[in-house]
Order: sequence, then C-alpha cells, then structure tokens
Amino acid sequence: MTITAPADVKADLTLDAKGLSCPMPLLRTKKEMGKIKSGEILEVLGTDPGSRNDLPGWCEKSGHTFIGEKEGDGCIHFFIKKG
Amino acid sequence: MSEGSILSSKAGELYKRLCKEEWNATMTGLLVGLFSVLIMAWWRPWGAVGAIRNWGDWMIHGFANLVGAESGLLELYLETPTGWLAGSGSVIGIGFVAGAFISACLGGDFAFRIPPRLELAKAVVAGILMGIGAALSGGCNVGGMYNAIGNLSANGFTMWLGLVIGVVCGLKYIYWEMSNITWGSGGAKTFDFPEGMKTFVGVVGLVALIVGAVKFAGIEDADAIDAIGGVLFAGGKSAAYLKSLSGLLIIAAALGYVMQRGRWCMVQGFREPHMTGDATLAKSVALSICVVAIGAAVLKYSVPVRADGYPVLAELHYVRGTFGWGSIVGGAIFGFGAMLAGGCGSGTLWRVGEGQVKLILVVPFFALANSLMTKWFKNFGEDMINLEREGKLGKYVYMPETFGYTGTLLLIGAVMLIWYLVVSWNEESNKLIIDF
Repeated sequence: MTITAPADVKADLTLDAKGLSCPMPLLRTKKEMGKIKSGEILEVLGTDPGSRNDLPGWCEKSGHTFIGEKEGDGCIHFFIKKG
Repeated sequence: MSEGSILSSKAGELYKRLCKEEWNATMTGLLVGLFSVLIMAWWRPWGAVGAIRNWGDWMIHGFANLVGAESGLLELYLETPTGWLAGSGSVIGIGFVAGAFISACLGGDFAFRIPPRLELAKAVVAGILMGIGAALSGGCNVGGMYNAIGNLSANGFTMWLGLVIGVVCGLKYIYWEMSNITWGSGGAKTFDFPEGMKTFVGVVGLVALIVGAVKFAGIEDADAIDAIGGVLFAGGKSAAYLKSLSGLLIIAAALGYVMQRGRWCMVQGFREPHMTGDATLAKSVALSICVVAIGAAVLKYSVPVRADGYPVLAELHYVRGTFGWGSIVGGAIFGFGAMLAGGCGSGTLWRVGEGQVKLILVVPFFALANSLMTKWFKNFGEDMINLEREGKLGKYVYMPETFGYTGTLLLIGAVMLIWYLVVSWNEESNKLIIDF
C-alpha cells in the first residue's frame, strides 16, 4: 500500500536516482544514508516502479523509517528518516 | 450507498487488485509455476533465450546477405531462420513481452525510461555477457536453471551454482563502480504518457493478443502462411504446428503479465540475500521450482501422448549436455551480466514490456552474442563438431535415470528446503550480506 509523504516534509539531503533501474536506486540510497545523521531525512528522486516496494521493504529491515512518497516533476520523491 | 454504486466500487477494487497493485511474491511464484506447467502440458517448456536467439539469427542473417558472406561463421547464416511468428521460441518471447506490456499499461507503470549514459554502456556489456553465458549453460536463468531443474535435469543445479558466483562477483563490481566511476551520470530522461492513454493501449493490446491467438488457432492452410514467408512467417511449418502456437502465445503472455505485476525477477532471488538480506524472492523462486518439478514429473513419468502419437512432453525436453563446466562458467558469466543489466533473461523481457530503455538495449546485444556463440558451438573447429553433443560442455543427466522419479523429486525438494533455510537464517543473521 502506498504511503503518501506529508506535504511539509523537508529533506536534509537529496539523491537523484532518476532513470536508474533495479538494483541501482536501492544501492545508491544505501550508500547515501552513510552521509546523513540519525534522525535526518534523505529524499530519493526515482523513476523505477520497483522502488515503490524495494525502498519501504529495505527501510523496515535496516531500521530506517520510510516516511512516504509523492509524485511531482516527472518522478517519484521518496522520503526516508535515518534510524 | 446504492447497490449500483457498491457494485461499481467493488469492480474498482477488483481492477486495482488485478491490474494496479504489486502482487505478493509467494502468489506470483505459485502462478509462474502453474503457467510453466501448463505451457509444458500444452507443448513445451518456456524460455527467454529461444526468442532472443531467433531475433539475433535474423539480424546476422540480414548482415550476411548484405555482405554476401561466402565462408566462415557468417556463411552459416545464409539459410533463412524461422520467422518471428512461425517458431515456438520466438512466439513465446513475443507473448511474454506482450503480456508484460499489457500489465504495465493497465497498471500505469509503462513509460520510456532512458537511464544515465553509464547504464546504457553497461547494458551493452551486460547483453554480450548474458548471450555468452546462456550459450555455455544451455539456456538463461529460465531454460538453463529454473526450467532445467523443473524438468528434472542436473544441469540446472550446476547453473544455479554458477549464478550464485556470478551474482556475488557482479555485486562486488557494482560496489567498486559506485566508488570509482563518476562518468556517465547524466542523460536520464523519462517519457511518460497520460494514464487514460496507457489504459486504452493496454486494452487494445489485450484484444490484439486474443485476436492473434484465435488467428493462429484457425490456421488451416500452412502453404499460404509459408508463401508469405519473410521475417514473420518463414519456416515451412505444418498447420498443426502453427495452430499450437495459439496456446503458447496466450500462456507466455500470462507469464509476462504475472511476472511484471509481481515484479518477479529470479536474479533478485539470488542477489537480495547478499545485498539486503531479504529472502522474499529467493523463497518464492524455490517454491516455484518445486511446483514445476512436480508438474514435469507428472507429465514425463509415463510420457502421455497426443492423439497423433507425439509425446506431450518428451523426457529429454530441456535436458542439456551442460552438466559440468559449461553451466557453471556460463552461469557465472550470465549472472555477472544480469547484475549489470538489472534483470535476468525473463526479468529483462518483462522490463522491456514496461519501457525500460536500458533493458531494451540489452536485448539486441544478448541476441547477437547468443546467436553467434550458439552457431559457433554447433559448428566448432575444422570438423565443425557440435560441442554440446560431443560432451565438451558437460554431460546430459536426466536425474530420474539415476535417482528414479521419487528420488529426484526428493532431491529437488531437499535442495530447495536447504536453500529456504539458508536464506531465512541469513535474514536474521545477515551473515551472507556483502557490504560496501
């Protein structure tokens, strides 16, 4: 089920994963998480439909919080809070 | 709420469930297994490489005619290959992509997604590696592993081993690439289409598929089809053969639909335990293989025959002479290529159906490499020997001949259970995860 991100969510860091397909969006997200502190938010810009399932699943497993997603500017914006 | 509006809301929910939501991996695995058994009962196991190689044969046939090849490997391409709509392999591939395309359109997933330049370069290398690997293994992850084990053939297990090696090496390469290659990160673009337009095209695609199957089923005059010939109908097949393509087209489309809707990718089943630890797809693939193996055992046990005496599923269907180094090395090369591509043989084709330009680019290079390698292996050296038939790639091992049907099914079940336990243990312990 799709979780919609709150309209006022603000990211501390943005990763451009547009055009990338499985497994690159998830791997780049995994790497980018190393650059932010616990409690900070990463925004991932993606176009791969597979990320809609992959990213929340990975967050659940790795202790991060999947805040939600929203569409705009020709891509999907995923928001993840580092655990 | 009126009864009419309740019905309409229920219809909306059903449409969402069937066409829009991502299907659960376990259910998808079971459905893939079911349709894999049905297609075997109809005629033959399905695969991805048969289609891709046929398309490659046509590309090289065109080139050989253009340059007027008179010797070497190219000379072997002067003979006209079977047409795209006249051969079982190609029809399965077309049906599979069509099913995935219909699913992607109805689900709103379709868009032309052009990846960054580095990904396009990787697609070329990936296609070539996958073509070489599949030629050595006697098939891709479907024909060489999934349907091979499912068809009780030992070469499926050795390709499995090779795939694990290839996927682990591929993952390590990607980690290296992410830290060391900065070139080619630009150029990504997405061409999306309005939702209503995608739904309309999906419905048109579905109708075209059904009409196509009905047309195949109604073929009576095979000579008339042969007279059309060309890239679509060359091959001189009988009317009975052409009629049978109707079922292959529909069942292959069902497989493409199901796999796109469940985003069911076998290479992901091998990769995820090492990447994130997630075992969902690994378990689903194991379950699906068990379903196919049971189905194949039922169909092959006494080899039921059709009315005209042809076996429904000959025992040696999908038993390849690659049990040995061929499928281990081939599986490793294929697995590495699939990691670069981001999709295995079947995963590549269903992503083609949802408009992923990277995977669309993988296909022609996969096709050319596999066609050339296969032709070379069948006409090797001065004596033009067939490497597989001469036992140079490995052995033909139909497991029931060694273990009996009961022993073979128990063996496959035991291996899948061990695999299930290992990936489940790894989900908790993370011991198999390869980190950056």
